[in-house]
Amino acid sequence: MNRKDIKGRFHRTLPKQPSLLNSRTMWGLLFVAAVIWSLHESGLFERDLVNVGGWTLVMRFLIAATRPELDVEFLQLTLEATLQTLAYGVCGTAFSLIFGLVGGILSSEVWWQSISLVKFPTPWLVVRFFLAIPRAIHELIWGLFFINIFGLDPLVAVLAIAIPFGAITAKVFSEILDETPRQPLMALLNSGVSPLNAFVYSLIPQSFPNLLSYAFYRFECSIRSAAVLGIIGAGGLGYQILLSLQSLRYEEMWTFLIALVLLSGSTDFWSAMLRRSIGAPSRLDLNLHLSKPKSTLQNTQTLAIHLLQGDRLVKVSLFAAIGLLIFSFWYVNADFTKLSSPQTFDLLIGVIQDSFPPDITKFYQLFTLSAQTLAMSILAIAIAGIGGILLSFPAANNLLLPEDNSHSLWGITVLVFTRFLLLFTRAIPAPIWALIFLFVLFPGILPGAIALAIHNLGILGRLMAEVIENLDQRPLRSLQALGATNSQIFLYGILPRTLSRFVAYILYRWEVCIRATVIVGLVGAGGLGRLLTEQLSSFDYKGLVSTLICFICLTFLVDLISATVRRSLR
Amino acid sequence: MNLGTPIFELKNVTKQFGSFQSLANINLQIWAGDRVALVGSSGAGKSTMINLLNGTLLPTQGEVWVLGHNLSRLPRKSLRQIQRQIGTIYQQFHLVDNLRVIHNVNAGHLGRWSFFKAAISLISPMEVGTAAIALNQVGIAEKLYERTDRLSGGQQQRVAIARVLVQNPSAILADEPISSLDPERSREIIQMLRQLSQDSGKTLVTSLHAFEYARNYYERIIGLRQGRILFDASPLAVSPSMVEELYRTEE
Repeated sequence: MNRKDIKGRFHRTLPKQPSLLNSRTMWGLLFVAAVIWSLHESGLFERDLVNVGGWTLVMRFLIAATRPELDVEFLQLTLEATLQTLAYGVCGTAFSLIFGLVGGILSSEVWWQSISLVKFPTPWLVVRFFLAIPRAIHELIWGLFFINIFGLDPLVAVLAIAIPFGAITAKVFSEILDETPRQPLMALLNSGVSPLNAFVYSLIPQSFPNLLSYAFYRFECSIRSAAVLGIIGAGGLGYQILLSLQSLRYEEMWTFLIALVLLSGSTDFWSAMLRRSIGAPSRLDLNLHLSKPKSTLQNTQTLAIHLLQGDRLVKVSLFAAIGLLIFSFWYVNADFTKLSSPQTFDLLIGVIQDSFPPDITKFYQLFTLSAQTLAMSILAIAIAGIGGILLSFPAANNLLLPEDNSHSLWGITVLVFTRFLLLFTRAIPAPIWALIFLFVLFPGILPGAIALAIHNLGILGRLMAEVIENLDQRPLRSLQALGATNSQIFLYGILPRTLSRFVAYILYRWEVCIRATVIVGLVGAGGLGRLLTEQLSSFDYKGLVSTLICFICLTFLVDLISATVRRSLR
Repeated sequence: MNLGTPIFELKNVTKQFGSFQSLANINLQIWAGDRVALVGSSGAGKSTMINLLNGTLLPTQGEVWVLGHNLSRLPRKSLRQIQRQIGTIYQQFHLVDNLRVIHNVNAGHLGRWSFFKAAISLISPMEVGTAAIALNQVGIAEKLYERTDRLSGGQQQRVAIARVLVQNPSAILADEPISSLDPERSREIIQMLRQLSQDSGKTLVTSLHAFEYARNYYERIIGLRQGRILFDASPLAVSPSMVEELYRTEE
């Protein structure tokens, strides 16, 4: 039988080639369409966007980078500002963790099942629903709101971090608790132990590595948020950066920027070391349920071993955390009595009375602004996603197979440079990036989108590099052994195994981006964020409520799309 | 039919991983068309030997000659050309899990395809006929467009063999190809490898845990123990005491 016959017979019996039009390609096409629509919405095809006159300022700004202000007195100011930002971050994290633990237990399915033992589905869903609202509102909006009530008090920054982050932490904690194996808990409950005691002796220690890992991730986020909150007047590094930018003192601004990068970089580093030492999963995987629940038990055991053997890093970290907490509360010196003062209460009642009925006369304006906000987030995440993917490969320490380049100077230079670039882009908050881009771009959604894109690119690039570093190397080596080139190995071995996770990360950051459009709106980029900040500072609470409702709906819409796409790509 | 140079030759080869010596002073010749089984307990150096033969590892001392070339002396590009002539199958399959079967099989072409052709094929599979014939030969033609991680272990090992068929090398190396499979699947895979080698005259080197398969399906058995060759003989010449010595545990 010759070859042709075999082929002929095959083509009748072979399975049919699946169509190119599947759910993946559909989403891909939709994505391209969304980006084109967003570009149109940004006015890229119509108006002049670049302000040519701004280039001299950009040059001055860049030249200033070579000689940051290093005067002793000035360095002292920088140190004070840095400590203030750190202290806000620590206090905010502390409150959000307390809030998160209580809220997390109350919104977990397993808690309600253990206290009632009746299959009654509502209680945790009710708690979850109420936690969704503080979560949807960005910490900057909370900050502006609290300024109206407490005035310029450190309390503003601490509360503005604690409330939304507490709600996010509660959501993630409840999911961690629900995914932890329940047999030990059931054994305790069945032998008559009270639910709270049973939790303390089973689920909490079982899930402790995951809870701790997420708590540290929140701490990293709190530091970045504390810097952003500075911009609305809460003090610290963000405030100082804004002041020096507005007064065109770029040398001073660079000193603050370097301080911010150092602060943010060392928190990231500490947190990464700790996570590695207790074998906890990558921070985003907790958010995305990509970690395998079976690892939990193993993690607990390793953590127990670490604590028993007195692992120095874990021990030192615990003491450092306690020390930092005491220092921060002393340094922040917030007036917590304001929380329970009658004046606060009166103001709050006043605000609530002012807010109703919500102003619905500007419906059309809200609709246009929502479209702009959506376009801004799509552009931002498209740039950040593609840029992050491209930079993650040089930033991964294992990409070109080990024997090839482990000792080459060029490889190490590229690695260090990309990592630093990613650290720098993510350490600078998005509104600062927006202010810098406003030198050369006219206000609108484009500078906002670029600012959000650059900040998120740093975060995505680092996360993606971690994914590449954790890849199983053996399929790559087998491709190399059959004579494939490095670029072919990339196509057949690396891309297929990383792309789905990359897309999941990008979608998750998109959810964060739509919320963060508020903070670039503040400094002049368009969208709902700008309207929100205007309404807050002019005490227009009736308008504010309708804008907020609109904004919350928009964030829920984005969450819904993101969840749908993630499910269909799994 | 020993025509001049052997297809594989190891000359005084030592391979060291840190302070651990995996292979010590090995001398070995394998000729075109040979069917060789490498046997020994785990840690004897079988996998290291396979990885030296396909150019994944280079020796610490000594020389590895493949198809008349000293692998240590070759630049990357020429090494790849030699590697195209050697197909390898692994214990854990080493396939790309979330690609369709067709792409894993087509990966056998990568040594010959340009980057551009490889990229296009990921979107719209090329040379489907060749892949289908290869898959039919290993008995799973119907899985052509299935995702690889949905297949059972035995089926994934068949995909790996189909990839080697598409690659069409002069020699096939198999590193413990049946250690992850049940006895029935193991026998099928070993028979398939032997059949392929017999039909096409390709050299076959297989590392095996279990001595039984080596005795029943191979013409030459090399016993490795602690990085040294204990015996190199035909199955008939291997006595029970030699086998006992091979697997003896250290007191």
